[in-house]
Amino acid sequence: MGLFDRVFRGSDEMFAKAEAEINAVVAELGESAPMKMPDTAYYLSCIYAYLGKKVTTLGELRDALCDVKAMMTREHKTKDIFTSGVGTAIAAEMIEACKYARNPAPYEGTNYHGHFTDAEVRTLGVPLVTRDIPGFVVMIGPAPTKEEALETVKGYQSRGIFVFLIGGIIEQLLECGMTMNFDVRVVPVGADIWSVGHIISLVVRAAFIFGAVQPGDYDGHIDYSFHRIFAFVNAYKPVNDITVACGAGAIQMGFPVITNDTDDMWAVPKSLIINENTQDWIETSLEARDIKIKVTNIDIPVAFSNAFEGEIIRKSDTQIEIDGSRVDCCEFCRTEEAQKIEDHAIILDGPDFDEFEPGAKICLTITLEVAGKSWQTDFEPVVERKFHNFLNCIEGVMHTGQRDMIRIRVSKAAFDAGFRARHLGEVLYAKVKGEYETVVDKCQVRICTRPEGCKEIRAKANEAFIARDARLKSMTDESVDQFYTCILCQAFSPSHVCIVTPERLGLCGAVSWLDAKATNELDPNGPCQIVPKTRCTDERLGAYEDVNEAVCKYSHGALERVTLYSILEDPMTSCGCFECICGIEPMSNGVVITNREHVGMTPLGMTFSEMASMTGGGVQTPGFMGHGKQFIASKKFLAAEGGMGRIVWLPKELKDQMADRINATAKELYGIDNFTAMIADETVTTDMEELYTFLTEVGHPVLEMEPLM
Amino acid sequence: MKDWDRLITVEQMEAATAALLENGIKVGADSWQQRAKNQTPHCGFGEAGTCCRICSMGPCRITPKAPRGICGCDVHGIVGRNYLRFTAGGSATHSDHGREIMHTLYQTREGGNYQVKDPEKLKRIAREWGVETEGKDIYDLAHEIAEIGLLEYGKPFGTQRFLKRAPEHTQKLWSEAGIEPRAIDREVSQSLHMTHMGCSSKPEALIRQSLRAGLSDGWGGSMMGTEFSDVMFGTPKPIDTTANIGVMEKDNVNIIVHGHDPSLSEMIVFYANDPEMIAYAKENGAKGITVAGVCCTSNEVTMRHGIPMAGNFLSQENVVLTGACEAIVVDVQCIFPALGPLSKCFHTKFITTSPIAQIPDSDFIEFHAESAGENAKAIVRTAIENFKNRRPELVNIPDLKTKARVGYSVEAIKKELDGVCNSHVDTYGTTKPLIDCVKAGVLRGAVAMVGCNNPKVRPDTAHIELMKKLLKNDIIVILSGCSAQAAAKAGLMDPDAKEYCGEGLKRVCELVGIPPVLHMGSCVDISRMMILASDIAKDWGINISQIPLCGCAPEWMSEKAVSIGNYVVATGIDTYLGVDPYTKGSSEVVELLQGEHGVKDWVEAHFIVDTDIESLGDKMIAGIEAKRAALGI
Repeated sequence: MGLFDRVFRGSDEMFAKAEAEINAVVAELGESAPMKMPDTAYYLSCIYAYLGKKVTTLGELRDALCDVKAMMTREHKTKDIFTSGVGTAIAAEMIEACKYARNPAPYEGTNYHGHFTDAEVRTLGVPLVTRDIPGFVVMIGPAPTKEEALETVKGYQSRGIFVFLIGGIIEQLLECGMTMNFDVRVVPVGADIWSVGHIISLVVRAAFIFGAVQPGDYDGHIDYSFHRIFAFVNAYKPVNDITVACGAGAIQMGFPVITNDTDDMWAVPKSLIINENTQDWIETSLEARDIKIKVTNIDIPVAFSNAFEGEIIRKSDTQIEIDGSRVDCCEFCRTEEAQKIEDHAIILDGPDFDEFEPGAKICLTITLEVAGKSWQTDFEPVVERKFHNFLNCIEGVMHTGQRDMIRIRVSKAAFDAGFRARHLGEVLYAKVKGEYETVVDKCQVRICTRPEGCKEIRAKANEAFIARDARLKSMTDESVDQFYTCILCQAFSPSHVCIVTPERLGLCGAVSWLDAKATNELDPNGPCQIVPKTRCTDERLGAYEDVNEAVCKYSHGALERVTLYSILEDPMTSCGCFECICGIEPMSNGVVITNREHVGMTPLGMTFSEMASMTGGGVQTPGFMGHGKQFIASKKFLAAEGGMGRIVWLPKELKDQMADRINATAKELYGIDNFTAMIADETVTTDMEELYTFLTEVGHPVLEMEPLM
Repeated sequence: MKDWDRLITVEQMEAATAALLENGIKVGADSWQQRAKNQTPHCGFGEAGTCCRICSMGPCRITPKAPRGICGCDVHGIVGRNYLRFTAGGSATHSDHGREIMHTLYQTREGGNYQVKDPEKLKRIAREWGVETEGKDIYDLAHEIAEIGLLEYGKPFGTQRFLKRAPEHTQKLWSEAGIEPRAIDREVSQSLHMTHMGCSSKPEALIRQSLRAGLSDGWGGSMMGTEFSDVMFGTPKPIDTTANIGVMEKDNVNIIVHGHDPSLSEMIVFYANDPEMIAYAKENGAKGITVAGVCCTSNEVTMRHGIPMAGNFLSQENVVLTGACEAIVVDVQCIFPALGPLSKCFHTKFITTSPIAQIPDSDFIEFHAESAGENAKAIVRTAIENFKNRRPELVNIPDLKTKARVGYSVEAIKKELDGVCNSHVDTYGTTKPLIDCVKAGVLRGAVAMVGCNNPKVRPDTAHIELMKKLLKNDIIVILSGCSAQAAAKAGLMDPDAKEYCGEGLKRVCELVGIPPVLHMGSCVDISRMMILASDIAKDWGINISQIPLCGCAPEWMSEKAVSIGNYVVATGIDTYLGVDPYTKGSSEVVELLQGEHGVKDWVEAHFIVDTDIESLGDKMIAGIEAKRAALGI
């Protein structure tokens, strides 16, 4: 049987299953029963993306069946297998949706992940852009042996590839005791092939969120996934017709399929690759999808990959704990004269990890000393802030915090593998030299574990931090000569341009003005370009002709104007990876802000996902604006509309996190003490009317401000 | 499917031509459009192939009342003879072009006007021909190979060397059919001999010789022309250029090269880029020098240097009608004598260069390989000095210009295909990725579209409409000659034209990074297509005739095209014609060429003639699907 006939047969099978499931659930719950996937603003995303239909009830789900059937055309042309393949994916989503119609958490208590929330999709934005996640693999079926399954998945993990698992391989990995969850980027999606619907749902939402692709724009979604989502499929034999049909959908989306099944299988260059040597699949796959992995060989006894960034190390598994909240600790990057540095020296002052008892809480400081002809002291905080990312990528090491409030846990497994204090230095040396090679000529790392030494170093570091903060504080939008663009996200969000200023960091929270400056010096033709600020047209709005020219140029004409300080007049666009979303609350004339981590409702009647779906992808939506967390406490936040005094609601956790800085700014701007007490949160209310009552009771300054519209 | 808005339509091109003809009327110029009208209706006997004027007893014309000529030859003999003579004319022409190239190869020397730019290819061919290459100076080798190649034209014994490149099955068919070409000149001579008064009148023998004379062209003279042009001027690889009349530049000295032999145009291109010449152009009031081409000389220089293509065969008068053409420099073949009087209506210098193509009202600057540089420089200088003679009121360059990616030699195609190989499972340097796409059904097959323009067909329409139809049906199209330029003029050679394809071909274009129609060169370069078909058959392990592939010449007009048709069919590739080859007067000849039991019994392929272009396209698609079905794919 030809490839095309296999696709047709498989898509018929999937469709029949979907039809049966839907009919059953409609019979059970009625056609007016609601149909909603949890924590998403994109309905049943595959249907919404490819067909443009919003499914909110089971009746609408059933009605969509005929649209899917219409995609499953049967001429012997590639178009027909492509649309049949995508139709198969939609049918898969439908089958899975039926489970959610009956139970909002059908996978709770199982080993399977099921549906991905919008928040999960959004967290992928930055690592995708930075290529920390260079690609995704969807692995289907059992590997030849469980050992090979483990080896292959670990191989992907160590290369940073995000792994989705379907079917028998999940059992194999469970038997091996593999840790699998979203944070470690190995996700057991589901047992059956139809759970592939969840993965495609994630793919299309990436296109909605980061690419501003419109619902129903079939070609736009295909184009986006083809050019911007570096995914591929590994399908172990036996590959049945239904999987072949899913494969056709994957190939239409631009995702090559690698299989070891030779039975009735047809090779298609760069699309359907038959390789019977499954142990060679990782390299075969990466080559097929043109994924090039920058390999940093670091001389440490454990693995190093950004897949380990989300790894949690429990107390019981901890060999050594470095806890800055209890003892003197710090991490610090400082400039040194070149002749005082021996490149690649790792100097340990004090006892090593094996000289402490297991589970010991110790003090430790890490000082990175850098010299370089093009090095500037302004780069110190930029590099220092990367310590967190670098150290977190070590297998068996967990790092949180910064400066003198760090916490590092080294697992027993890592210790047993031979991980010692100097290896922290090895990692920092390799990564700093690798990523900042144009400015770092020489660097060395000093690690101290002597309590007196740590105390002394911490004190010195703190002097530097204070001086640095003073400089940062004095650094305002007015005090610098230039801003920077950041178009790092354009790989995913082709028409978005960030303008980064000292008082407005990039909306992803990852690029400050200093970061942008460093990026520009490291790579003058790179994503951060200088925007001179010579032609201001409106100071209140933060409108500059230079800025407009830059956004127009770098958005390729998609955007003509943005302002820096207004949410209403030409607000800055966002890519979709923003930390927070801010929207106008019409009753109070204030604004409501919510963040990615907060899944609950806001007084606007919308969750983060729903608010976020109003903007993103480089689209300008007055009244909604994505931004970084730190921007909330900036004096420039909504400066055109009266500043942060407009904030009427924040999720409690975010409010608490930002309270000191918000209060300091409010004091300075309005002379108000403890402003955060006037800002409502979910413990006060998520109701618009109640919110207004609350604001009146506390005498919130917004009530005195001019109406926004 | 999205409508791709950069395509230039035939209507737009016709509107531009109409504007240019207005220009012509102002200065009293004649045009092919007018002459075609004057010549219509054409002679019915000539069209049916039933007029014999081979001896002076006639001319004899066959009618129901006069079914035989004076000598007694019947209509089948007359039509068959005419067909063979037509073929011999084409074969002689292509092969003589190849001979010129071999003579030029003989003139190559280190630092000379002509050099060996692809020594690897030369060595490869030398090894193929059993010539020792070790330790030999590359120019000694070139001269040795040139001599051997020239002997292919007149060697007393044996068959053409390049036949060995064909799959064994094809060679066997040729041998069994008795059509393996011997010395090239012999096949042409024998064709003329056979058709002399009182020789062959048996249609089967005449058609057999037609195939043999054709093969001596495609697998002999043409193949040498292509291969050794590559050796001297470089094997084409993908390069971006532009096409259509708008490539001529208003402020520049415009030199149009026209004809077929790259030896002259290579030199013109070289000297037009010479800083001394550019400075001289500026002294004469121009901003620079633009060299653009029409017809196959254009194809030769665009394939190797990305020289813009101003137009194809029926555009040759248009370039003069722009009033901005300083010189139209021609070598051989397909040059309208009309260019003489037409150029006199404008300031244009019409420069003929070859003793083979001597035309009234032209400036004859004879071109010799030994003095090529000096000749070319003199020509460029003449053009520059002519810039000041332009009549500004007559300058009208239509604003039609497209992007095109060209340069797909067989070597380049394989290199592109390597780009979609996976080093973990595939072998490089083969046509297998293409075969896999066809086997899986992502591509349904391929069409080699070639040939000229012909006023009998609305110019370029058949080419462009057929291509669009094939592309939509996931059939990849390879092109040469004026067909290639039709595609380029329309914009189908722009990689963005993938939007015009079915999903399968579109994906292939995206992954490989190619336009959906591949420019393989001039008409001589159809030999490249024969090599490609042979390699596919070998890589696939099937016969050429089994490949879902066909040839097509929807607007052909020259004798060369008939010769080509014969060798393409003889190679095992069904060939679809949109213009009748003057054979319809004989049911026997039609049956031989187009029937199920004529040439098809000998070489497993035949001709299909249909002047309804839509129907011709449907037949090609059906033919390709039938071949797929026979293969079980």
